[in-house]
Amino acid sequence: MSDADTIGPADGGHLIAAEYVLGVLSAEERREVERRLPHERALASEVAFWEERLVGLTDAVAPVTPPQTMWPQIEATIGATAPGTPRSPSVWQSLTFWRGFGIGSATLAAASLAALAYIGLVPAARPPLMATIAGSSGQPNFVAAVTATGDSLVVVPAALLTTDPRAIELWLILPGPNQRPHSLGLVQPGQPIKLTIPPELAAQLGPDATLAVSLEPPGGSPTGQPTGPVIASGKLTNL
Amino acid sequence: MNGDATRSQLAAALARVASGDRAALRMVYQDTSAKLFGVCLRILNSRSEAEDVLQEVYVTVWRKAADFDSSRASPITWMVAIARNRAIDRLRASAVSRRMEPLEAADAVSDPAPAAVERLASAQQHQRLARCLEELEARHSGAIRAAFLDGATYEELAVRMSVPLGTMKSWIRRGLLKLRACLEG
Repeated sequence: MSDADTIGPADGGHLIAAEYVLGVLSAEERREVERRLPHERALASEVAFWEERLVGLTDAVAPVTPPQTMWPQIEATIGATAPGTPRSPSVWQSLTFWRGFGIGSATLAAASLAALAYIGLVPAARPPLMATIAGSSGQPNFVAAVTATGDSLVVVPAALLTTDPRAIELWLILPGPNQRPHSLGLVQPGQPIKLTIPPELAAQLGPDATLAVSLEPPGGSPTGQPTGPVIASGKLTNL
Repeated sequence: MNGDATRSQLAAALARVASGDRAALRMVYQDTSAKLFGVCLRILNSRSEAEDVLQEVYVTVWRKAADFDSSRASPITWMVAIARNRAIDRLRASAVSRRMEPLEAADAVSDPAPAAVERLASAQQHQRLARCLEELEARHSGAIRAAFLDGATYEELAVRMSVPLGTMKSWIRRGLLKLRACLEG
C-alpha cells in the first residue's frame, strides 16, 4: 500500500462519526453531523462509541487549574438561567474584546481613591463595602463601593472597555442558595455612576454578595434577568 | 479515590445539578475543571479563549445535565465531549488567526494536586485503547492522537506532517477502521 492510497467517499462515509469525534472535520461538516444526530440513532450511537473509547487519550493532557475568577462568573451566569432553559448560543459572544485594554495599577488605585473620596463625603454609618469587578483574566473593569448610607452604589470604571454597542448591566447576587440576580441598572464604561439600591436589597446587603456585569440589549435586559454573557464579577468585602 | 467511585459520585452530582442544585455544580466544577481546562487549552492554545470556552462548558452542563444518561455514557466522557466540541467549534471560528506557536499554556502552572478526575477512562478501557493504538502503524496512531488532542483538521495535519491531504485522510481513516475492529473485538 502506498502513502498516496486514498479511501473513497463510500468507505469514508460510515466513518463520519469517528471523524466528528476525532475533530478533523470542518465547521460546515460538523454542523451537518450535528443536524443529523437527533434524527439518526445509528449515527448517535456511533458517536457515543467513539467518545467513550477515545476519551482515554485525554489522559495525556496535564490538568491546569483555571483562574479563581472563573467559578464566580459561572455562578453569576447560571443565576440567570434555570437548568434546561433554552438559550441561544449566539448570545455567547467572545469575552476576548474585554481584554487587551490593559490598565496600570495606578489607574485602579486612582479609581479606588475616587470611590473612597466619594463615599467619604457622608459620615460613615457602617464599614464601607467595596468590590473589584474583574473579568476572567483577573483584570479589574470596575470598582464599586456602597455609600455610607447603604442605599446606593458608586461604580467607577477601572479599565477602558469596549465599543460593543450593547448595554452594560450591573447585577447584585445575594449570598445563599438559589439567589437570583437583581438588576441595579446600567453602567457606563467611560464614567462613574451612582446607582440606587432598592431598599429590600439594601437591607440584606453585606460582605459576600456578588456583583456581576453582563452585556444586554440597548436599555438593558428585557427579562429582568441577564440575557447576555456575564463578562466580569466580584464579591463585596468590608474595607 | 478510585475511578469507579469518582464516576459514580460525578453521576450522582450531575443528577442533582439537573434538579437545579448549584452546590452540586460546584462539586462537579471542583472535580473536573482542571482536567477540562487542560483539554481546552491544548486545543485552543490560548488562555483567554480556553477560559471563555470553559465558562460556556459549565453553563452548558448546568442547562443540559438532565440530558445526561448515566446508562449510556460515563459522566466524564459526556463532559469532555462538551468541552472538546465547544473548543473545536471555537478553533474553527478563529481558524484564520490560529497561531502555531509554542504552547502558550506551557508556562501555566500545571496543577500540583490534580483534581479527582485525573485519569478519565477506566483502567481496563484505557489499556485496551493503548493496546489497539499500538497495533496500528505508528504514523496512523500518531495522526489520530494529534487529531484528537489538538482538534486539527485533515488539512492542518497534512501540512504539519508534510504529506498530501489524501494521504493524511487515508492514514486516519485506515487507522480508525482498524481501531474500531480492535476496540470492538
